[in-house]
Amino acid sequence: MINTNYPAILVLSPLLAALMCSIFSWCAKKLCYPTAIISLGISLYASIEVLMQVMDTGTIQYRMAGWAPPMGIEYRIDLLNAIVLLLVISIALINLVASYQSVNQEIGKKSNTFYAIYLLFVTGLVGITATGDLFNLYVLLEITSLTSYAQIAMGDKDRGPLASLNYVFIGVIGASFYLLGVGYIYIMTGSLNMVDVASLLPSLHGSSAVLVAFIFCMLGIWIKMALFPLHVWLPNAYTYAPTVVSRILAPLMTKVMVYVMIRLMITVFGFEYLFEKLNLAEAVVWLATIAILAGAIMAMAQKDLKKMLTYIIVCEIGYMVGGAWLGNELGMTGAILHIVNDALMTFALFLALGNIVYKLKSVHFDNLKGLFGKMPWTMAGFVLGAFSIIGIPPTCGFFSKWYLILGAFEKGAYHFAGALIISSLLCAVLFFRIFEIGFFNNEHDEHNTITMSEAPVSMLIPLGLVSLSLIITGLYSSSIVNKIILPFLQ
Amino acid sequence: MLQQYSEQAGGQKIEIHSSNHSFALWRLLLYATADFPAWGDPNSPANSYLSPHYIQKSIEETGVPNLVTSVLADYRGFDTMFETAVVFCAGLACFLLLRNFKQKEENFYRHIPTGVIIQFKKGDKTLPVGKEFEHIDTEWIPYDLIIKTVCRILIPFIQLYALYVVAHGDFSPGGGFQGGVIFGSSLMLYAIAYNLRTLVQRVKEKLLGLFCAIGVLIYAGIGVVCMALGGNFLDYGKLSQILPVDPGHIRAYGMLGVEIGVGITVMAAMVIIYVNIVSIGRHDEGL
Repeated sequence: MINTNYPAILVLSPLLAALMCSIFSWCAKKLCYPTAIISLGISLYASIEVLMQVMDTGTIQYRMAGWAPPMGIEYRIDLLNAIVLLLVISIALINLVASYQSVNQEIGKKSNTFYAIYLLFVTGLVGITATGDLFNLYVLLEITSLTSYAQIAMGDKDRGPLASLNYVFIGVIGASFYLLGVGYIYIMTGSLNMVDVASLLPSLHGSSAVLVAFIFCMLGIWIKMALFPLHVWLPNAYTYAPTVVSRILAPLMTKVMVYVMIRLMITVFGFEYLFEKLNLAEAVVWLATIAILAGAIMAMAQKDLKKMLTYIIVCEIGYMVGGAWLGNELGMTGAILHIVNDALMTFALFLALGNIVYKLKSVHFDNLKGLFGKMPWTMAGFVLGAFSIIGIPPTCGFFSKWYLILGAFEKGAYHFAGALIISSLLCAVLFFRIFEIGFFNNEHDEHNTITMSEAPVSMLIPLGLVSLSLIITGLYSSSIVNKIILPFLQ
Repeated sequence: MLQQYSEQAGGQKIEIHSSNHSFALWRLLLYATADFPAWGDPNSPANSYLSPHYIQKSIEETGVPNLVTSVLADYRGFDTMFETAVVFCAGLACFLLLRNFKQKEENFYRHIPTGVIIQFKKGDKTLPVGKEFEHIDTEWIPYDLIIKTVCRILIPFIQLYALYVVAHGDFSPGGGFQGGVIFGSSLMLYAIAYNLRTLVQRVKEKLLGLFCAIGVLIYAGIGVVCMALGGNFLDYGKLSQILPVDPGHIRAYGMLGVEIGVGITVMAAMVIIYVNIVSIGRHDEGL
């Protein structure tokens, strides 16, 4: 009985735990944090089981309330969902362990209630990834957005609420564009189930309403994932959020949105519609090229480490959007592999960043002097994450970039390949500047010797695990591609 | 001409840009409508694909005469659970962002027989005053007999009507969301007619916080019970194993249960949002 219910347990375990946390925050405060950890543990176990089942027996379909798909809501988990689910839940769990002390430091009295909203946010991300229904996806998008607005506003006292308000305005526009698109699809097909819509759409390929629906869905998701000209909300929102929040938003929020884009492209609208009927692909690849270059150049202008990393996220979004829109198998493989890799390496960087913030409070470049002496272990993790972003071979960032560049050459999109290489070089400049400040720019005062003051062990072990996983994922990327991505694309 | 004007007034420029954008969006929407099925066309996909199934089969399959409720709480009940979670999340966010546990610096007490007002500065707690004094807001509003009496009479009826709307959701228009809002508004009326302090003393913050979570927990809990009885999540049909009722109507009872959960959450979340916003999170005085 339990075996068939794993898809529901995935999303229910954090939801129920969020409610229990909210109740416990009034009557048994000590139970909040353990509840959160246990629920994400259960969810992680379920996601591993689901991945195994999908690899053994193929796509899992789960009918909510027992109704058959076009009538009711269906969870549909294939290889792509399964790997993204595992990624989302494991990052959420590791972050919860790593950020325990940082939550106490930054949020303080309300931290017990905070866990409730954190778990709701994870529920939203898991639901978006698992669902096979277009409207259900919107409802969960709403939960994810609302909780992230609230979490961001709890950050920096002066700038946090304003950054969150900007995000609210732009995010609401994005979500309503997506909803408008889904509404148009419903008018034209009468169905909301993704697979069902996909079977009804081919007869409507010439329709202007379907085209507008597609444009609105894509615009909405691009706003949510912060593709370059629509990215303005992201840097401030992520910079002024509390550490624990930016640690989960940065690796997951944008990546899950990229997943939604790929899901709509492959499962709902289909390659035939996108690349044979529409002539948008080339324009989008150009847009992605500009996003990559703009993100990298804007990152160069920053004097604050956290803000610099947020612009690198903008740059990385360009990689995945461009790769997905190249329209060949290599490009799509690169984009999907980069969802996994980029989530891991951004997570490693933000874990290291959180440790630095925990000790130093500010991560302005002036404060980073002599950091390798003060926090050697944290900086070791940071260096691995940075190498992966730059794309130095044993780390995972290299492999997805390799697929993307191969895809670009196969398609003849040399501008995109060029942008990838230039942005890697720019990232190298960015990170080696940080290394230089951290290594060499010590105070010349002889008496002021640097004493080691490393972050607590509970924050270092997760960082160590995640940065090692960068190398392991890198070494095993061929098996990820052969066992998960290629079978999915066929 | 327009450009000259926009150079004079800095703010005007933004407006011109945004109107251009909205014009482009408007044209895009208009372009799509050219391809829409005719207005009210019975053969349009939205009317002919899934709707006939809901209309013809829902009484037979769910035992609920109100089609809207059966789609909302059964066929797409999973969506509605998350909509309730959105309401819960709004209440939680209001608490997290606004709630301020510091008490205000000044307190005012009015001596009822003489009308003299005494101000206490740095009084952290409310003073234990006798019956001759009353604790008042910074802006004191005289006792209004008509408003208070009318509200005292009305509030129980509003609440009774709210319960009716929740309970009759599966027969007539209504349901948890509407009933919850009506019940919440009766409590707000209480706060407006008397003052916020009276409401907060009578309906404790802890109670509201617990109710807000318990409502969604009832909804999700019913789903989990169905799962434990061997069905899928929210498959109300399985409840007939533990409830001694007519199996033909079991789904209607399941829906009633989740509607009650929705009502509780919406009621509590409305009051939490109201109290936190009007008092800027201090829960002492406000509208």
